[in-house]
Amino acid sequence: MASTDSAATDFSDDLPAELAAEERRAPAGTGPWRIALRRLRRNKVALAFGVLFLALVAVSLAAPIWAEEVAHTTPYQNRIADTITIDGEERNIVEFDGVPIGPTWHGEYFLGADRNGRDVMVRLLYGGRNSLLIGIGASIITMVLATLLGLLSGYFGGWLDWVISRCFDVMWAFPVILLGVALGVSLNISGITIGPLELESGSLWIPTVIIGIAYVVYLARPIRGQVLALREKEFVEAARAQGMGPWRIMLTELLPNLASTLLVFFPLIVANAILLEAALSFLGAGVQPPEPSWGLMISEGIEFLTSAPHLTIAPGIMLVLTVLALNIFGEGVRDALDPRAKIRLEH
Amino acid sequence: MRTIRRALLALLLVAASAFVVACGDDDDGGATTAGGSTSAATDAATETGQTGGTLTGYYTSSPDYMDPALTYTVEGWNAQWVVYTPLLTYRHTEGAEGAELIPGLAEDLPEISEDGLTYKLKLRDGLKFSDGTPVKASDFEHTIKRVLNLESGGSAFYLPIVGAEEYLKAGKPKGDIEGIETDDETGEITIRLKERVGSFDYALAMNFAGLVPSDTPFRNMTRNPPPGVGPYKITRSVPNRGFTLEKVPEFADYGIDGVPTGHLDTIDITIVKNQQRQTDDVINNKVDYLIDPPPADRLREVQDKAKGRFEPYVTNSTYYVFMNTREKPFDDERVRQAVNYAIDKRAMQRIFGGLLAPSCNFLPPGMKGYEKIEPCPYGDPTAEPDVEKARQLIQEAGAEGASVTVWGNDEDPSKPVTEYVADVMSQIGLNAKPRIVEASVYFQTIGNQKTKAQAGFANWFQDFPHPANFMFLINGASIQETNNQNFGNVDDPEINDLIDGADANPDLDEAAPDYAKADRLAVERAYVAPYGNRQLTKLVSDRVVWDSVIAHPVYEVDFSLLQLK
Repeated sequence: MASTDSAATDFSDDLPAELAAEERRAPAGTGPWRIALRRLRRNKVALAFGVLFLALVAVSLAAPIWAEEVAHTTPYQNRIADTITIDGEERNIVEFDGVPIGPTWHGEYFLGADRNGRDVMVRLLYGGRNSLLIGIGASIITMVLATLLGLLSGYFGGWLDWVISRCFDVMWAFPVILLGVALGVSLNISGITIGPLELESGSLWIPTVIIGIAYVVYLARPIRGQVLALREKEFVEAARAQGMGPWRIMLTELLPNLASTLLVFFPLIVANAILLEAALSFLGAGVQPPEPSWGLMISEGIEFLTSAPHLTIAPGIMLVLTVLALNIFGEGVRDALDPRAKIRLEH
Repeated sequence: MRTIRRALLALLLVAASAFVVACGDDDDGGATTAGGSTSAATDAATETGQTGGTLTGYYTSSPDYMDPALTYTVEGWNAQWVVYTPLLTYRHTEGAEGAELIPGLAEDLPEISEDGLTYKLKLRDGLKFSDGTPVKASDFEHTIKRVLNLESGGSAFYLPIVGAEEYLKAGKPKGDIEGIETDDETGEITIRLKERVGSFDYALAMNFAGLVPSDTPFRNMTRNPPPGVGPYKITRSVPNRGFTLEKVPEFADYGIDGVPTGHLDTIDITIVKNQQRQTDDVINNKVDYLIDPPPADRLREVQDKAKGRFEPYVTNSTYYVFMNTREKPFDDERVRQAVNYAIDKRAMQRIFGGLLAPSCNFLPPGMKGYEKIEPCPYGDPTAEPDVEKARQLIQEAGAEGASVTVWGNDEDPSKPVTEYVADVMSQIGLNAKPRIVEASVYFQTIGNQKTKAQAGFANWFQDFPHPANFMFLINGASIQETNNQNFGNVDDPEINDLIDGADANPDLDEAAPDYAKADRLAVERAYVAPYGNRQLTKLVSDRVVWDSVIAHPVYEVDFSLLQLK
């Protein structure tokens, strides 16, 4: 993922003719946010995928209801040697050769079982919760840290900028997946304690923090670039002339001007974070058993690709849908807020 | 040998019924083969097979080393058994008979002094390495020096030799091992031990002790393996790509009873990671043999499509849950018993794709000293578990809600087993969670006392067919601060005495009842929760004579018996 260093903040300059005409048609006093919202509303595809994403979130949040009321199990319960009755026929949940039952399309084992006799549908929903929790949590961490570092680096410049930029260079040089695997594997053995912060091994906070930190550099650099441009603007000069201190200028003058960039990046960062979580879990460095996650479920299903393809297909579809929905909706947001499309995420 | 590789190993090789290599055993009426070995089974194979040809095969993983001093995986041992014959070796046959020691490069089995501390052997006359260099008695000392000097995983087996530890500490490759005396003129070899080790003659039969010339450098020779004495020599060795073995015709001249001289001209092994492709190729006869079993979900298909050339077999292995007796709640025997009551061995069998024989004993059935514990104190291993009894025991022990971390590694079947065991412990009232760590650091992690691992996945495949090789896992004397193999820190004086006494006895028949008693006590006192013995599979192409495929109890595949139709 990479982005330009000089993303602009306002969204009314240098617009394509049709967008400029649209702004001219807007009633006097219509603010840029309202115009952006209007643009977003007109992008039906982006809205549809936005709704799809919300639906996926809602379904994942409903996991406990499905588990208790419909499937009558938990995401952790192993029923390897048990049987269930489907349409009057008694069937093994896991066959003697280890192959689990496929989708029953009934409440119990709606999407079949995994090799430990656990309900795939239940794990899929709980896995969605975990994936979304980690994706959104990590993105918030990324946003907060990247904004802070980008502001400090871009506004103060000098040695502070040099130090922060070199740190970014080091992080940039490290492939994000490698960084995630290295941290994930080591932290998952014994956890970590930093001052008052204690992360137990197996905690969902471990992949959340790792992913959150891994993506900081990808957002902090464009923010720094924007701050470098903004600090030379007249309104910042005026604030300085009025005697405002640097912290107040950053908070009241610069931060609001970064809002559109942050909004554009957020869904795209969430999508990337979910993908990275899935990759780390697939490699054993993300979510730890018995907690489910889509990446982990795909990894567990690989061995049964030919005999029980539902084990990989179900979480694979959920992962694709979620990331696709976030990316298309994110692009819609970008088109609305940044019609010159200067902000880009490359995967 | 605990490597996961070994667990997967599979070796298939064929099953030739009882290939009684008893060359010279004319009473059996068997014809003498080119190599001098005789048996009805071999004759049967010869009738339908040919001498010569090239056999192709796939390994999933490369042998760790193509150097007898270093290799400690099934792949390495399997490939090198037919290249480096030790002073003693095993019968080339399946089952318990294959665990019988016979003279290899030595003229006879060792003459052991009454105190069990001195072993005397004599090298056969006229032996030559595959490059033509004559074999000398002093080559044996050089061979052992390489094992020690290279800090091989097999070093421990030779440390009981007088002066071995001093040699290791001195770090001088050309130094002397005081306890090994050799006479190149007479071929006599005398080995003195510091203490009685009943299983020492098995150490002499290990691959580590396969003789190499005295000028073999003290370094890993994988890329240019040294010559050995055996029916085959290594002519190509490319790590992670494959290797080639070619027949040594001169080996037949030595007439070593019980050691086959080989049928195939060439054995060509390629490393192929994709087990689906491996299975496809052997089913379609594009390759002749696989070392690893097919993926679990293809076993049914393989059984159908490879009728007459596929067969599972039970290995000398034990899979068990260790429970750390130094850590709560497993310091309470009732909690350990509860885990034994609750584990459903039928479920375990399914996790293993059907390739697990449920068991109650810690010792595997193919091992001397094995006496089936019947009735099993925790119920029939093939029946439903008594979960209620387990819950009751947990309540009696006041361990309800006790936090337990169940350790396992990320390879199959450890991961699903660990998750299952954690769930079972939770069902009986404990608060258990699995902790999965990377396989390459797993055993070091749980073997470090600082980890305080409470419970977890463990397994053991024999290094040699002697119960001592299993029972040290539950002997208090083997507890260490790091690299501990006694993960449960089992330290029961009665069991320790039984094992120590049996270990020191060179007469295995005499020692076997003590091992059996120790096995029973370990199970009754619930120091471990054994749940089964791993089954592996034999699978070959249509080109291979099925009766020539044996699963040797130590080395699994025997290349020297394989034959093409």
